[in-house]
Amino acid sequence: MTATQLPARPRAAALRPPSGGTAWRLLRLELRRSPMPWTFPLLAALFAFDPYRTAMGYPAVWTIRASVLPNKMLPDFVVFVVGIAAWVGSRDGRRHTLDLVEMTPRPRWAGQLAAWAATTIWAIVAFLAATAVLYGVTAAQATWGGPPWWPVIVSCAELAALAALGFTAGALFPGRFTAPLAAVGAFVLSLEGFNNAVGRSSAFAVLSPTTYVPANDAGVFYPYPPDVAIDQLMFLAGLTAVVLGVLGLARSSGAGPGLRRGVAVLTAAGTAAALTAVGLAGTARQALPGTSQPPSATAPLSMQAPWVIPALHDAASDQPRPYTPVCQTVAAVPVCIHPAFRIYLPDVAAALGPVLRVVAGLPGAPVRAGQVASGSLVPRSGQVNVGGLPAGEISGTPPAFSYTADQVPARAFAESRGMFITSLQAALVGAFVPAGVSQPATGAPAVPDRRTAPAVAPRVAVQEALLIDVGVPLATQRKQGLIAVQLPSALQAQADIVAQRFAGLPAAARHAWLARHLAALRAGHVTLAQLP
Amino acid sequence: MNIETAGLIRRFGRTEAVAGVDLAAGPGVFGLLGPNGAGKTTLLRMMATVIPPSSGTLRLLGRDPRASGPRREIRRRLGYLPQQLGYYPSFTTVEFIEYFALLKEMPARQIPGAVAVAVERTDLGGKARARLRTLSGGMLRRVGIAQAIVNEPDLLLLDEPTAGLDPEQRVSFRALLRDLAQRSTVVVSTHLVEDVGAACSEVALMHQGKIVFRGTPAELTARGTDGGAGDAPLERGYTAVLAQARS
Repeated sequence: MTATQLPARPRAAALRPPSGGTAWRLLRLELRRSPMPWTFPLLAALFAFDPYRTAMGYPAVWTIRASVLPNKMLPDFVVFVVGIAAWVGSRDGRRHTLDLVEMTPRPRWAGQLAAWAATTIWAIVAFLAATAVLYGVTAAQATWGGPPWWPVIVSCAELAALAALGFTAGALFPGRFTAPLAAVGAFVLSLEGFNNAVGRSSAFAVLSPTTYVPANDAGVFYPYPPDVAIDQLMFLAGLTAVVLGVLGLARSSGAGPGLRRGVAVLTAAGTAAALTAVGLAGTARQALPGTSQPPSATAPLSMQAPWVIPALHDAASDQPRPYTPVCQTVAAVPVCIHPAFRIYLPDVAAALGPVLRVVAGLPGAPVRAGQVASGSLVPRSGQVNVGGLPAGEISGTPPAFSYTADQVPARAFAESRGMFITSLQAALVGAFVPAGVSQPATGAPAVPDRRTAPAVAPRVAVQEALLIDVGVPLATQRKQGLIAVQLPSALQAQADIVAQRFAGLPAAARHAWLARHLAALRAGHVTLAQLP
Repeated sequence: MNIETAGLIRRFGRTEAVAGVDLAAGPGVFGLLGPNGAGKTTLLRMMATVIPPSSGTLRLLGRDPRASGPRREIRRRLGYLPQQLGYYPSFTTVEFIEYFALLKEMPARQIPGAVAVAVERTDLGGKARARLRTLSGGMLRRVGIAQAIVNEPDLLLLDEPTAGLDPEQRVSFRALLRDLAQRSTVVVSTHLVEDVGAACSEVALMHQGKIVFRGTPAELTARGTDGGAGDAPLERGYTAVLAQARS
């Protein structure tokens, strides 16, 4: 009997449809053979030398330490995750297995999803392990609070989204150069591309975890604001669904009409989620902490002020978190700080103490100094702020000096402890004797016009004198930009001479003069010539 | 019939790789002979549902593979060894076979047993846990055959299955083919006529996309009695038919 004469054999055994067990076995195979774990030693070395070392240089404040997750760890991980994902995605093209995987009943897309998932899972495992080390060490050092989880969740979502992008690039353009090109592209995109596309100060910049960094004290004075994190999560989840959906809708996916419809729905849902997130990002605005409202349409806000998205905002995150400040008395004035920043109390006391001694007993001299949330202080008309930030203000009856939390951890980013101390001293001096000229919201030095400059100059001279008196010479003031007022050069030279002369007076004489003339000085009714 | 084609054509641009093939085959080993570029691999890839025909009719296992549902059913009962076997170097032999068993939608509980049987039948037991990157060309060919037969297909398509196998392996492979053909249709594309003579119950010879001869190996041998070049009778038949087709 020849082959053509034999009857077709009926199917011996009906094969059942795919089950969850099958999907798990497929994933387990991919997990076992994923190349991602091979990068772990390199990732560990990078982690030790970049994010971990940077974080250990920061104060042990949870949000500050957690800021390295999107800022340092993600860019480090992204290169490897995207490169490996693209390498795995291009596997069938590179290894010439397309004929084999495209003739199986299970759509090729299912196998691709398993391979992507394995890469993503390993990447997230590595990321979480590094986070555990960072958070573990911080837990042993932090004086208050607990770990913020939103940055971790959002970072994992970004890893999944970028792995999907890399994988799809590899699957659609298989080749040995796809992986390195995708890795470099993702690195550039994550670091600079997004910034360049939307601008760092744009509301849309909040969509990128690497671009948007919460204030240093997020979660300290108020609960960690989840608005932006939820929006980022929605955007990244939508992006992931769209990218994987595109892969499923490709001709080579092997998806039948039913699955293709499902993938189309997934893609549409992903697109809707991503576009909704973009739309919500457009409504993001900076607000005074605890109010979810900007102070006014025109008042500039600190860059450290939190971003809120009204549609996602939960009023519960506006409720202050209870805490008992820790205080130290200097010059008979209690200087207080949030317990999360407890380790900086000696430095803050060392900074404010000399100035408080100089101004003690003068009208408007603060009787208490306390820390408030970053972005809490709104620049007042006629006030110059150190570095463009409303770093401190004197208000209330009796008067109290408030300094923002970002001034304290600024030490970690400042060149030295000395710089941190002088900037805090300048904040107090600037609040005690306002220069009488408003600073641009950009933080650039205030430039009084020729008409007002003569009235501003005496106040600048007194500020300089007070700082000289507490040990900050003019040269240091200039170098650090502590007095952010740019007088005409001739007038500045005169102000400097007067400041040095005034600072050279006996303390009692200077104090007596200030006690008599401070109100007039603040009102702009004192000239340089009238300063002793 | 497990395979039925009528006027099957496949074009790549202006090139007609398969130029109207009529074929029917039930269980048994069906040999597909022909010189390089005759269209054997293209015909096999159409039968494997990797590429669709440009025109003509193709029915596999009694179903039309153009529709998604029947195509999926066909694929569950199909085994295919491509001419150029791609593989994942980091996978072990067992993992590679298991991977394709999963893609063939075999029930998860049956897979370990099925993989073991496929490994046993291809005599890969000693290399079951070896990474594919460490295997020789002949071993890899056997891994390819193992993944093709792991789901006990009703239709098995093998493109140059004995390439890279040593003589002893080829002998045992032919025995395997005969065993599989007890209940399946096995289509073997080859240009090694001795494989056809030893294992095939029927043979077709392709030239320039067309079938120029169809019959038993004995009938092909008989065509060589009047002339034709070659050391073996079947080879003389093969060359004689080709020479006639070219003239």
